[in-house]
Amino acid sequence: MAMNERFACKGYRAWTSRPDALARFEPTRRGVLAALGLGTVSWLGARSAFSQLVVAPARVEQPTLVVVFLRGGMDGLNVVVPYGDDDYHRLRPNLALRKAQVLDLDGTFGLHPKLAPLLPFYREGSMAIVHAVGSGDQTRSHFEAMAAMERGLFTDSDALASGWLARYLRASSGTSSSPLRAVAFGPVLPDSLRGATQATAIASLDDYRLTDGKGKLTRDAFAENLRRLYGKRQDEVSLAGLETLNVLDALHSLEPSRRQEGGPYPETAFGDAVRQCATLLKAEVGVEAACLDMGGWDTHVYQGSVEGWQAGLLDELARSLAAFVADLGPRMKRTTIVVMTEFGRRVKENEGLGTDHGRGSALFALGAGVQGGRLYVNWPGLGPGALEGPGDLRVTTDYRNVLWSAVSSSLGEPGLSETFPGLQPEPHPALVKA
Amino acid sequence: MAITRREWLAAVATGTALAISGCEIPRPFAASRVPERLEPPDEADAPAIRLLNRTAFGAPADEVAKVERIGREAWVALQLEARQDEPLDLTLRLRRLESLQYEGFNTSDFKEQHLLDELQQAALLRAVHSPNQLRERMVDFWSNHFSIYARKANTRMLKAADDHRVIRRHALGKFPDLLWASAQSPAMLLYLDNQANTKRAPNENYARELLELHALGVDGGYTQQDVMEVARCFTGWTVENRPPLTQLSQHDFDVRKLRARGRFRFDPDQHDDGAKQVLGHTIPAGQGEGDARQVVDILAKHPSCARFIARKLCRAFVGTADAPLVERVADRYTKTDGDIKAMLETLLLSDELLAGPPILKRPFDYVASALRCTYAETDGRAVGDHLRKMGQPLNEWPMPDGYPDGTSEWTGSLLARWNFAAALATDQIRGTKVAFDRLGKSMGGNVEWDRLVCGRPLGLSGNDPAELVALSLCSPEFQWR
Repeated sequence: MAMNERFACKGYRAWTSRPDALARFEPTRRGVLAALGLGTVSWLGARSAFSQLVVAPARVEQPTLVVVFLRGGMDGLNVVVPYGDDDYHRLRPNLALRKAQVLDLDGTFGLHPKLAPLLPFYREGSMAIVHAVGSGDQTRSHFEAMAAMERGLFTDSDALASGWLARYLRASSGTSSSPLRAVAFGPVLPDSLRGATQATAIASLDDYRLTDGKGKLTRDAFAENLRRLYGKRQDEVSLAGLETLNVLDALHSLEPSRRQEGGPYPETAFGDAVRQCATLLKAEVGVEAACLDMGGWDTHVYQGSVEGWQAGLLDELARSLAAFVADLGPRMKRTTIVVMTEFGRRVKENEGLGTDHGRGSALFALGAGVQGGRLYVNWPGLGPGALEGPGDLRVTTDYRNVLWSAVSSSLGEPGLSETFPGLQPEPHPALVKA
Repeated sequence: MAITRREWLAAVATGTALAISGCEIPRPFAASRVPERLEPPDEADAPAIRLLNRTAFGAPADEVAKVERIGREAWVALQLEARQDEPLDLTLRLRRLESLQYEGFNTSDFKEQHLLDELQQAALLRAVHSPNQLRERMVDFWSNHFSIYARKANTRMLKAADDHRVIRRHALGKFPDLLWASAQSPAMLLYLDNQANTKRAPNENYARELLELHALGVDGGYTQQDVMEVARCFTGWTVENRPPLTQLSQHDFDVRKLRARGRFRFDPDQHDDGAKQVLGHTIPAGQGEGDARQVVDILAKHPSCARFIARKLCRAFVGTADAPLVERVADRYTKTDGDIKAMLETLLLSDELLAGPPILKRPFDYVASALRCTYAETDGRAVGDHLRKMGQPLNEWPMPDGYPDGTSEWTGSLLARWNFAAALATDQIRGTKVAFDRLGKSMGGNVEWDRLVCGRPLGLSGNDPAELVALSLCSPEFQWR
């Protein structure tokens, strides 16, 4: 459901609200543990359907990487604003934000005011910002640039079909056999999870249940028959079917309640997806990687400035993430969030009061392992000689070094080279303690 | 470190068996290595079933019998001709879709959701009930090739005209005509921001996707410079949105002066009339509207275009894009000036079609084939909700590359497919009904529902027709085509 919000881009954003999906589905920790056979009964001895969700106790405390992908190409220059750069104001007479309008970071750069809900995290040191970051993609095509990033490559290549998160999961596979090791909130799995088993796309936790045709089918027998049909072969669909059945068992065990910590999430598709992500993380069902997509960043026309299109997106993003952090509470100690986009946008604004596809953009990292409170940037400048191609911010930080650093603590050397083949890693200080 | 595929499969199979038996020993599920890609099942379909699964939406038992009776060549010829009469029932149902009887901004009174629903309904009705199945399959193919997100700006009001005048009109015509029609489609121009493409500040959005997604492919040999030059050629290509001339006195009233809002308009004031260079060709100054015509001609005649379209058709119909077949299909393109029927003929009569790997049905395929294989009557409305839950509401893919056609993108939709199958078989979808009688009649006494619906035995037990039909539609076998 809500495919439209998932990738909504090309300068337009759908505002379909999803009241149906806003119904609450919150497990209590006790309910989950009991369901998993971890509460009072030894998990090895529990004879229940949930034993199929063999989450080994040691893995229940696993860390989680949450990847938020801003689809369409976020204009980093109007998000982490180089207000002290004269070229910025020269090239963006209508779109530029002035010094007085931004949340100052260091006397040269400032955050877009709509990101105010995230500022406390920056100030307290749990959020870091990386600027002029990106891939090596020169096509300025959404698809090529996304394909490169989701496969963990500098530029896209057919040589590697699997997604970087899929390889990460494979390389870090320990004892977990949770079918929910990776979760994407949306109708389809993103390319970063291509090739991952134990990965599931969930459009809505509430909808994630097997029907019984209004009582005309016996649900358990139906599920049992499905298990038999899907257990016959090992093709991609058969395996996915079995995993779907395992996920159903796992989710079936969650006790619905309306409990939620912290402030409200925005009532948008993205806000709802973030909320559901928090629900699953709090339930401790073994999620190690979560993918969230937010569309609408392809601001070719009417991008706006302090207010307007992109400002609305930033507002939604910031409020969703702030609600997420509050909701997770202590679980944030094992949660790292990375917010990324496929490319930034042309420095010079266009006639439609928007910006075209560019190169470098900004990235946010928040949570466990983040050396925050700092803006990490090797600023290439926006002057005539400094720009790249048709007039784009040069990429001075390879996004792969940031992702490499985000997973380096949970992977050994062989696993890291498997996840990012060909990378000569330079550990990034935003995520690796010097 | 790496384990072999066989070891991996064995590990998975063991884990699965343990899970089913309820045994409590921890499974080595996660400890196993995942291969780069899992293969689809390699069990071959009967030729008639394969042919139907590729040229039509599914292989209902009566159609299989027909193909076996008249033979492959005759079936393909019939489908390429696409002149079989539309059933009256389909005509009447389509006519009841009110918003589709208007065009352009005349549909502004309808709510967005209503417009989208009726467009989807029409597509489903035709896919299920039209005898010209190949045409409908090609409409689906081109609708994704020239994908338009109908929730952007005013495109919801213009997509119906795009469907009618661009996609359906040229679905089995000549590709250059299709490309040209799409370049003048108001819905496309609005979707890709070409109304903002002016001589003072060219907007590259349409130009880029024209090169990358519509004509040449991303590796088709163009540069960023070409994108910018093509954008200049398309400056001033916009959608009529000036207020209608209603202030004329009766005497001056001239119907030809009424502006048809929502139609294509070339605005010479916004056109950059200087000379341009596109893919090594010079576009002379002063051609005005003719620039774009020349661009489309250059693109349609480019060797990359023939290969790009051939490759995409091969993927859609054969499941792979191996060089020899792609070359043959591309060769047909070149020799026939992009005749779509000629390319399809080569494809559909090729050995590769029967030998190629199975293709996972996208949700639209799945729903249409499930309805066809159960001889279901449908008004196409409530089934659309299921399509949305499976992740493929029509005209709602926001990116211009159309819904993905791979396998792993769609394996997450299985649960929604199972729920659809269960709802369909137990008569829970309003306006849609499985014809159990007609289905059962063809088998006499002992009905093998799995063989009827799915074309092969699935080893199901039980005797409740609803459950057996539901399970047949749920089966992994029915997910492939």
